[in-house]
Amino acid sequence: MEQPEAGRSRVPGGYFGRALVVDVGDGSTRVLPLPERVLRDHLGGVGLGTWLLTELGPPGVDPLSPEAPLAFVFSPLVGTPLTTSAKFAVLAKSPLTGLLTDALASSHFALSGKLTGHDALVLVGRAVRPSVLSIHGSEVTLSSAGAEWGSSAAAAEAAVRRRLGGGWQVASIGPAGERGVAYATISHDGRHAGRGGLGAVMGSKNLKAVAVHATTKVAPADPAGVLAAAKDLRARSLGSATAKYRELGTMANVLAFNALSTLPTRNFQEAVFEGAPQLGAQELAQARGVTRSSCASCSIGCEHLYRDKGGRKVRMEHQNVSALGPMCGVSDPDAVLAASARCDELGIDTISAGGTIAWAMECVERGLLDVPWLRFGDGAAVLRALDEIGSGVGIGPLLARGSRAAAGVVGQGSLELAAQVKGLELPGYEPRTMQAMALGMAVNARGADHNRSGAYEADLSGDLDRLAGGVEHVRGAIESEDRAAVMDSMILCSFLRKVFDDPFAQWAQLLSLVTGWDLDAGELRATAQRIVLAKRAYNLREGWQPEDDWLPERFLSSTLTVGSGRTAALTAERLRDMVSGYYAARGLGADGRPERTVVP
Amino acid sequence: MGSPKAALEWHGSTLLRRVTGIVSRGVDGRVVVVRAPGQPLPALPPCISVLDDPAEGRGPLQGIAVGLAALADEAETAFVCSTDLPLLHPAFVRRVTRDADGADVVLPVVGGHRQPLAACYRTAMAGYAGGLVAADRLRPAFLQEGTVVVELDDAALLSDPTLSRLDPDLDSVCGVNSPEDYAAARDRPAPEVTVQRFGVLARSGDRDRGAARAATLAAAAQAVGLTLSRQILAALNGDQMSRDPELPLVRGDVVAFLSADAGG
Repeated sequence: MEQPEAGRSRVPGGYFGRALVVDVGDGSTRVLPLPERVLRDHLGGVGLGTWLLTELGPPGVDPLSPEAPLAFVFSPLVGTPLTTSAKFAVLAKSPLTGLLTDALASSHFALSGKLTGHDALVLVGRAVRPSVLSIHGSEVTLSSAGAEWGSSAAAAEAAVRRRLGGGWQVASIGPAGERGVAYATISHDGRHAGRGGLGAVMGSKNLKAVAVHATTKVAPADPAGVLAAAKDLRARSLGSATAKYRELGTMANVLAFNALSTLPTRNFQEAVFEGAPQLGAQELAQARGVTRSSCASCSIGCEHLYRDKGGRKVRMEHQNVSALGPMCGVSDPDAVLAASARCDELGIDTISAGGTIAWAMECVERGLLDVPWLRFGDGAAVLRALDEIGSGVGIGPLLARGSRAAAGVVGQGSLELAAQVKGLELPGYEPRTMQAMALGMAVNARGADHNRSGAYEADLSGDLDRLAGGVEHVRGAIESEDRAAVMDSMILCSFLRKVFDDPFAQWAQLLSLVTGWDLDAGELRATAQRIVLAKRAYNLREGWQPEDDWLPERFLSSTLTVGSGRTAALTAERLRDMVSGYYAARGLGADGRPERTVVP
Repeated sequence: MGSPKAALEWHGSTLLRRVTGIVSRGVDGRVVVVRAPGQPLPALPPCISVLDDPAEGRGPLQGIAVGLAALADEAETAFVCSTDLPLLHPAFVRRVTRDADGADVVLPVVGGHRQPLAACYRTAMAGYAGGLVAADRLRPAFLQEGTVVVELDDAALLSDPTLSRLDPDLDSVCGVNSPEDYAAARDRPAPEVTVQRFGVLARSGDRDRGAARAATLAAAAQAVGLTLSRQILAALNGDQMSRDPELPLVRGDVVAFLSADAGG
């Protein structure tokens, strides 16, 4: 197959060498060439998206202004037969954190979006009315969102596909994105680009949906080599390294975390939840029945869909169960299923929703908020809070800001109760009993994050004392961040990570087959460092301060007791030492600012 | 007994590996093993420091002096014990070290017998111990002369509810001093522990706590049909994670087996 060319340079395999920039205010477009050096330095996905935001986003831009870019970014592996590669990244300046946010979602939108002939689609401007953006190759159409405005993301996706006909893939937002909820999501086929309020950015552009239609193809540099590698990878993806995801999904974590005192409970006041056994994967499967599903091009099939009382299938993960169950003190599985489904309908991030509601519950408990119905343990209250967030009534507008901004309104010391970093609510990991993860969440560019930092792996490895953060924890956090930077940029699903026993070398091999570059592990490690620092540089430009790389006071001044009777304490001194160690290892200055020589 | 005590087998491990592992669980800091010069030892985890006595045949007091000196810069006190205590329990170690404030020696007195080789010493006594060795006063009991000694009798020891529950007969101090002692120790069953399985390691409905007899992590895994591997590790009492097959277990332990991909 003839490779596309960008300018005069030949484009590497797996790429088109260009991004399409669409101004949704007037429907105009321009093609942005992506030089090979940029592609090789940033790969795709999160890495390339960070470069695009840095290049195209005006410094200091209001995330919800027309000028703020919203980037859908593909990767060189999308469209290859490599398992789990059908993924795309969405990036923008976050309305929740004011810093960079990036999220991945999966499936056919990635395939069709890339095969419009672009490595990225970047949207700027604001449509004059609620609209649907359709991209067919380089042809761009804006049409009225019509009755879909106000509907759930799934309903809008189905309606737009019906309207446009066969071959279209659609990413859409729910009512929360339309209303600017700071943690609204963008959805496609039941999967969500979840964190940081990307849905609100899309809503601010008056876009209900983005539809893409493939018009071309792209070939890897070594098709036979890629096919052989894909067969091998698929075979390995069916082994014990992914058994957990296949058999139980991430829900398997709930009971294990409870046994390890790492399950955030009642807004991180505790780390063991007495109601956890009712929320276990196997218990829920027995009670409600479960079916499995997969993203396109995936041989793992991690998705576990449980039936709620009405017979609807609800996708359940550790994170939504943790946030909407134990964090809010709710043990009724039906209430958690219903809350998860409601988040999907509204198009909001379950982690930030649960974290913000749990913060409000503790505020009520302490007399800082006068919302008597909002109590820990009340599943109906969680549902009501979600509805009010989605509809903008009652307590909703306050909670729609996220816990940090809401605490800014409530005052009275309530910020200390907000379990967030950089404004992003903590996922279902207790930092006092997972101290490598504590560092990972503190320093990550996106905020308290479990995708871009999987430092919990170090905590659970058996190689270090997870209650006594130190030098080894710094190493674990950096290694995890680097691996995620590459996996999220090339892109392969992180659930595949245990399949690789020499990951950087094996990823370099895969990328070399696709692109034709002569990559090695050393270059990929440098790429990982470059991507991590590029995010930091973007944040610095947008107002990041050293105090943003820190955890809330609760985690530093109160302790937990684990099952052995040992006290888990994460002191400010210990966290400071780890953060300093992280900065030093990353080649950053003592205040965490990139030195000029290391800024990509 | 036919071989050095350190290498004697007890329910799948060696006495030295077992005792160092148990002491590690009972104290906050480093564990030091002092051996005769060049003495071969069974395999130990890398976190255990091994030091040599300066001279052969000077008895345990010399070892105490070396060990206390090695720890003097990093700890106020140290638990000191011999290698032949297969029934030592971390709760005993914690109970003895808990009363160290103001004392030079915290000395258990079990059934009327003083236990200087299952006791807690102030590390600053290293020099004093060395002086006794130099003066050929080689019995550990000499360390109690002219020092502040807090004795803990059975009642004092068992006032600790955890120790009372987990080692009510104070078997922690049962030493192996003869072939008969060793035979008797081997006849004792392995400790009773509770084994749990999580995630894909648990088949539906059988995750519930199950009692098993196991002196090591490998034995606990075997008791529920698992084999420790790169894909399987365990949490001990909801605390540290390990895949060390020789990790010693004691009565009352709860062992939770997880697949190694927990967390994602």
